[in-house]
Amino acid sequence: MTNQSSVEKPKDLVVSPPPQINGTMSKTRVMTYTFAALMIITIITAVIWWPVMTPTADQMNTFAEAGITGFIAMPLGAILLVNALIAVGVAVLSDFAIGKAAADSEVNTMSAAVFGLIVTLCYSLGLPGMARAVEVMPLHVLSAPGCFIFIALTSFIGLVGFKKLQGMTGRKYLNPAAAAKFIVLLPFLFSTFLIKEHWAPYADGGLSMPQLAGVVDKEMFGMYLQGCYGNPGIMNHPSAESLMLLTKFHGWPGGASSVAVIIVGVALILLLRNYFKWKITATYFGSVAIMSLIMTGIYGGDPMTRLIFELFIGSSIFLGFFMATDPATTPYTRTGQIIFGVGLGVLTVLIQVYMNFFGGALLALLIMNLTVPFLDRIGIHKPFGR
Amino acid sequence: MPYEHIKEVKDQARITPIEIFPDPKTAIVILNQHSGKPLAPLVAVDDSVAIGQKIADSKERISSPVHSPISGKIVKIGNIYNHCLETFTEAIYIENDGKKTKDNTLSPISESELQKTKPADLLNIIHEAGIIGLGGAGFPTHIKLAPPAEFPIKNLVVNATEGEPYDTADERLLIEKTANLLRGVNVIKKILGNPKVTIATKVSKAEAIPKLNEVFGNEPDTTVVAGHFKYQQGDASVLQKALFGYETPPTKRSYEMGCIVQNVATINAIANAVFEGEPLISRVVAFNGEIAQPKNLLVKIGTPISDIFSQNNIDMNDVRQVVVGGVMMGHAIPTTEAPVTKRSSSIIPFSESNYKKEQKQTACIHCSKCISACPVKLHPILIYDAIMKPDMEKVEKLWNKDCIGCGTCSYVCPSRIPLASTIMASR
Repeated sequence: MTNQSSVEKPKDLVVSPPPQINGTMSKTRVMTYTFAALMIITIITAVIWWPVMTPTADQMNTFAEAGITGFIAMPLGAILLVNALIAVGVAVLSDFAIGKAAADSEVNTMSAAVFGLIVTLCYSLGLPGMARAVEVMPLHVLSAPGCFIFIALTSFIGLVGFKKLQGMTGRKYLNPAAAAKFIVLLPFLFSTFLIKEHWAPYADGGLSMPQLAGVVDKEMFGMYLQGCYGNPGIMNHPSAESLMLLTKFHGWPGGASSVAVIIVGVALILLLRNYFKWKITATYFGSVAIMSLIMTGIYGGDPMTRLIFELFIGSSIFLGFFMATDPATTPYTRTGQIIFGVGLGVLTVLIQVYMNFFGGALLALLIMNLTVPFLDRIGIHKPFGR
Repeated sequence: MPYEHIKEVKDQARITPIEIFPDPKTAIVILNQHSGKPLAPLVAVDDSVAIGQKIADSKERISSPVHSPISGKIVKIGNIYNHCLETFTEAIYIENDGKKTKDNTLSPISESELQKTKPADLLNIIHEAGIIGLGGAGFPTHIKLAPPAEFPIKNLVVNATEGEPYDTADERLLIEKTANLLRGVNVIKKILGNPKVTIATKVSKAEAIPKLNEVFGNEPDTTVVAGHFKYQQGDASVLQKALFGYETPPTKRSYEMGCIVQNVATINAIANAVFEGEPLISRVVAFNGEIAQPKNLLVKIGTPISDIFSQNNIDMNDVRQVVVGGVMMGHAIPTTEAPVTKRSSSIIPFSESNYKKEQKQTACIHCSKCISACPVKLHPILIYDAIMKPDMEKVEKLWNKDCIGCGTCSYVCPSRIPLASTIMASR
């Protein structure tokens, strides 16, 4: 040993297990990218929805005549942005508070913020054109100021109950945003999920989905959608296709523009590659498409009408990209993810057809979430050479 | 199957010629540098030794002797940190007398004698020269080159992929010692009964490829494959899949598939031993990492790593971590007093500011990236969970023993979970 080296000997070299380098992708980065993607969708929807006033002047009069007060007229886009602020704020603050209070809980601001935006984007908003045919009170949930309270509640219950408490069990079974929305809005099922009333003007007691393409052809469906999204200034949308693909004016803010979701979603997949469970997205949309064609085979009618409805309804397009792929509540293995995506697609269509449950993807997701521990077991593949 | 890309940091090192590093004042030769049975010293304190003199050996079959890299006097036999075993083990300290007296026990043969020499004699030279797998595994080469007779060897693969992202020692050998490598390959061919030769290298080794084509291009039954190999394909079985398409079952050895994979540095050492009578007392070490001038050094085995730092004027106050043997599979050493061993393919210092950013381990986010990235199709996170439980029955059911320790799962983990090291430790 040379004297020189003993003089220069460092006090403590860091010893750590191999490998000594890491890839560039960290949890924070994954979450930041996802947050950015969701933020873009939020802004696009806010812009699209800005011209829409809720309630419309017409509706305000109706409410006033009925002696109902408490509604404030706001641009729908503004309501969405306030919602986003509330949901993200509640989630981040709750996460921070829990992190401070419980020693073993890690503060994960970015993850909480992503959760807040997902809550916002899957929270149905807006007054359907058929509002007059619907009970008025539950509409508080769909519009300001009622939605502000409910979204805060959803965000809080979701973060505390389904993200943190569920996380303590070592495994999250249910998608926190989906589960929270389901629990909080269960009392308002008829105005938020089951929207049979949409169809009231077209048939006694409403049309049920099996007949979607049978009784209702594409033209009529388009007319219906226009009426449904019947807000001043947006009646010039010509077709069912453009409404489903480009701009919807109520429902899940995350799915307001299917095209925007697809572009942002695909960009995020390209950015995150295998850190994003894209196999679920691919198999989900694939099976939804096949299922809707099967339904057309059974009930007849125009296959396109049913296809664009099942694929591009706000809940379907947003959930397929951003909720069904939530890493914590989906399978680990490739086979598991494929079965999960197919199961989700099949269930979604079945629920929407046979339960009149628009936004059935949400319920389908919660059901499929419960199968994940099982899918993880059957998805184990044999290693190299065995 | 797509393999995870791991960014290489070689631009400087790969174009820097091999430089001969001066002999140490004191050489510390670790006894157990190979994987196999432990050695016992053949010398005692105060004994004088010559360059290349065998100083420790074992009668056990799976073992490989060590030799004195310098001439001088034994001053101490004591423990020193051995990065191969990640613990302190016995070593012989030799003080350099500067006389450079040589031991000539190992008798070389000339190239013209090669075809007349019996494989057993060649294996004996390789054994006596202390040659082990220099790619990192450290398995005695004379055992590896003597597979059971019922398994004829059809393919010899020269593993010139050197996927470790900071390592360049093999690449420099490919460029500077190409002819010597051909001599080494000829020795192995003679031993194994003329198998086909495949030299597998990466397209990124731009300077080496023309040299290989020039030297090996006209050899019979020899192919130079310059592929877009990823780091993970540097593993012998994963490489065989890339070259020949088959997957070697983890229960079988390569020779059972009729194939032997040899590392470049090992082949170079074989040529030196057989034709020059030089036992394995030096090797090329890539000195790369966060240093101003990355180098490739021909270092005597037993040279204290601190010598390399001091002679390159590196202030140890700036160094927070020293990795030996590659950043993916090598080990971070606790002290630079530790010497260079046969398995020290590289020495890579990292500074305070850049050392492993975002190292804090956090909870798994279930992204399943480790599963899609594993080159041997394991489920790293599931094995890790089972180890943590612990549920060792499940750990085995998930084939934890099949892990090749490449480290890709830990590398890709966004939550920085030490998957690879935990799984390797459970084997």
